[in-house]
Amino acid sequence: MGATLPLVVPLSEAASTGEKWVGGKAARLSELLAAGYRVPHGFCITTRAYHRFLEDGGLKKRIDMEVGRKEMSSMRWEEIWDAALRIRTAFLRTPIPLDVSEAIIDPFQGFAVSPLAVRSSAVGEDSAGRSYAGLHESLVGVLGEKALLDAVRVVWASLWSDAALLYRHELELDVTRSAMAVVVQQLVAMDRSGVGFGRDPRDVNQDRQLIEAVPGLCRDLVDGAVDPDRWLVRRSNGEIIEWHPGVRTGRTEGPLLANEDVGLIHRTLNTIETTLGWPPDIEWTGRGTEFTVLQARPVTTAASRDDDDRREWYLSLRPGMSKLEALCKRVTEDLIPELEAEGRRLAGESIEDLTDEGLADAISTRAAIYARWKKTYWDEFIPFAHGVRQLGTYYNDAVKPDDPYEFIGILKHQPMIATERNAALRHLADYLKNHPALLDVVRNEPAAGSPLSSEDWPSIRETIASVDGGPEFIEEFERVCERYMDVAYNGEQLDRRPDIVLHTVLEMAVSRTAPAIAATTMDETVPADYEKRLLDAVGPERHEEAGSVIAIARLSWTLRDDDNVLLGRVEKQLLRAAKIAAERLERSRRLEPDARITVESAPLLSAALRDAAGGRVVLPEPNARERQALPGTEEETARQIVGQPAAPGLATARARVVLSTDDFSHFHAGEVLICDAIQPTMSHIVPLAAGIVERRGGMLIHGAIIAREFGIPCVNGVSHAILSIADGEIVTVDGYLGIVTIGPPEFDLETARSA
Amino acid sequence: MSVDETRPSSGGSSVEPSTDDVDPRLVERIRRLVTEQPYGVLCTQGQGQPYGSMIAFAFSDDLSVAVFATPVATRKYRLLSECDHVALVVDNRPDHPNDMMKIEALTATGQTTEVERGPEFDEYSQLLIDRHPQLESFVRASSCALFRIDIFRFLHVTRFQEVGQWVPRSR
Repeated sequence: MGATLPLVVPLSEAASTGEKWVGGKAARLSELLAAGYRVPHGFCITTRAYHRFLEDGGLKKRIDMEVGRKEMSSMRWEEIWDAALRIRTAFLRTPIPLDVSEAIIDPFQGFAVSPLAVRSSAVGEDSAGRSYAGLHESLVGVLGEKALLDAVRVVWASLWSDAALLYRHELELDVTRSAMAVVVQQLVAMDRSGVGFGRDPRDVNQDRQLIEAVPGLCRDLVDGAVDPDRWLVRRSNGEIIEWHPGVRTGRTEGPLLANEDVGLIHRTLNTIETTLGWPPDIEWTGRGTEFTVLQARPVTTAASRDDDDRREWYLSLRPGMSKLEALCKRVTEDLIPELEAEGRRLAGESIEDLTDEGLADAISTRAAIYARWKKTYWDEFIPFAHGVRQLGTYYNDAVKPDDPYEFIGILKHQPMIATERNAALRHLADYLKNHPALLDVVRNEPAAGSPLSSEDWPSIRETIASVDGGPEFIEEFERVCERYMDVAYNGEQLDRRPDIVLHTVLEMAVSRTAPAIAATTMDETVPADYEKRLLDAVGPERHEEAGSVIAIARLSWTLRDDDNVLLGRVEKQLLRAAKIAAERLERSRRLEPDARITVESAPLLSAALRDAAGGRVVLPEPNARERQALPGTEEETARQIVGQPAAPGLATARARVVLSTDDFSHFHAGEVLICDAIQPTMSHIVPLAAGIVERRGGMLIHGAIIAREFGIPCVNGVSHAILSIADGEIVTVDGYLGIVTIGPPEFDLETARSA
Repeated sequence: MSVDETRPSSGGSSVEPSTDDVDPRLVERIRRLVTEQPYGVLCTQGQGQPYGSMIAFAFSDDLSVAVFATPVATRKYRLLSECDHVALVVDNRPDHPNDMMKIEALTATGQTTEVERGPEFDEYSQLLIDRHPQLESFVRASSCALFRIDIFRFLHVTRFQEVGQWVPRSR
């Protein structure tokens, strides 16, 4: 069809136009329309319009830049989400060519007064045998020309959504070949809507169909906002096998659908199967003569999905607004206070004098508690973190900012435990600076030039306490350690390493503003300005909705940090018990001295305490990320490596690789921090850094957040950061562009071959 | 295309070709090449050592100015700060060159100037972004420098060794 392909075709002509141009959803609806089913009026924007939009706006190259920036297999899902957000924002900011927008608006004139549904219809999305429901966007309740054009852009962009990028291999996603058509229909809003499966997707071999219904729009069911009534129906004769009422506020007695309504859906599923040739998964609305089919695609069986597939888990991390609201309530009102109380309760338990049996029990109990909270962390805290991403999408859709991360401005300066702790450390450093004699003493302990260690602490404490201002400093220092350092990092309890904390305070006290930081501009815009920008963009009728999105995002932002710190406290209490066990086993020579105690070794230590035979204990090697050589020869070295520009700024300084708590005490102010991932439990050293390079990638991860808070240039998502950069090497961190240059800026061009 | 059509050529007159007497088809071939090809190799030098860098470029309508951008923490940025005389090589060789005689290449010699932020920056950065919209955030980044090359001369090569040259008028 090519050059003569229209930009827009009526839905009735979509199937004859060709699925290649209208996508699977439009083709199926068109076939159902032709077969006499009731389908909402509408039209299809063909893939030609999509291609025109991409060509005219230069978007193909932008997509290429995003998906080619890094080997996709090494991108974390947070980085994939970032790439999708940038693509979506670029789509929203790109004007639709005039002839294309006119072609879209022209048939829309007929529907101008009623709200629309704008649905994705990707080519190859729902072919028989596979279905990727939920990967692409569909919007309902779209009103007005501008909103329609925006909605079309969002649907086009969803060809490159985070979910689609995760399934890019199966979808054969490719800039030059993939395309998205769009179905625009009148929104049909009836009192009942739902889904129906021609075969029960949980077991397609059974003689069963599955039907679900909710009051109002089908979207509420698909988004998981409303729990549906559910029927199991015998496929062969329509007999209702089971009815299961949904759990909803305000529900009335009895089923949402009468038996004859269920019977109509049963017969429709069977006839659609005959029409299309495969058992369908349909969305429907209305009852009796108003029963309307909204879409039909092949049933996807549970068995066809890999249960171990992490992508399924990732896709569960995108709860809709109502789910987020429920999650927010549970996390803030129940889980976080419980987690905090658990940490305090365990810290208050006296376990030092327990018998071996009692200590073994304590370790087992603590390990179970820690495991339970870790599960809660994955199941509830991480999905709640989507609150921030939801704001990102919401803000960018409305404001269409130059910077896709402008929305973070709304979240700035939220009180977090980590920032409180850093302020307390800063206060201690200022105290030292104002007491020069005390500063000299701290600086010269234990001996100038040699690093501190935990063994040195008692004598250092005594020396500091003997100087003017020292007792007050020690009192405040120990209060800060108790209040904020009651956490574990990489299996090490930080409050048992006051030497490390003192080193950080000293570095803060003696460092000036890192001279290497240049061209870093601090954004002086306050959160209220960004909030106003959003409210102005959405208009007064959506202020309440925007307020909810912002409120959830703020809580999500704060808790994303605090949950890590609080979980670190529970972890620390497990380690505390494990270390008491290790000391006992060392004393009885059953364990090598200085064995590294980790969370993973706790069960072995517990079992050893119960082992009456008194056998030797061998602990597994800690699963720490350590430096390994990159494949290649000594001559092959990286000069410039690329990641994400996570916090703006430019800095050139010496690199310090930090992989353990011991590395904290080697870290000096003004160095570039090279690490696997900045944990909230280690972010006290961040203010010392001139720049940050992290392996873990993402614009909204902890390291990126805190780097932006402090105005420190940060590049993250650098896959081989730890392997490519050595301690002491000069590196340049370009936080604007996401580039790390290894080696001094001054260099000699080789003018002769080296010997 | 005959040899006559490509005059002045490498084997031709030693008289400097001017904009007025150059074969207009040569100018059009140069224009077509720099319009069709988005990338080229920027040649710089330092301490007597030549250095080449792939760049994305855009030319002004009259072909007298080319623009490109580079991060400031790069070798080419440092080299440009030491020596502003450069060459830009652009060619249309295919992935599998079956017909060497159809390859066209040009070498543009010139002098670079870093464009400071202001109206001129806005003009030249837009020229580059219009040609390479995917580079918008790169070009606008604070750690990226924008350069203009004032072109001294184009040397256009085709049919393996046939060379034409053209000196554009300065803007």
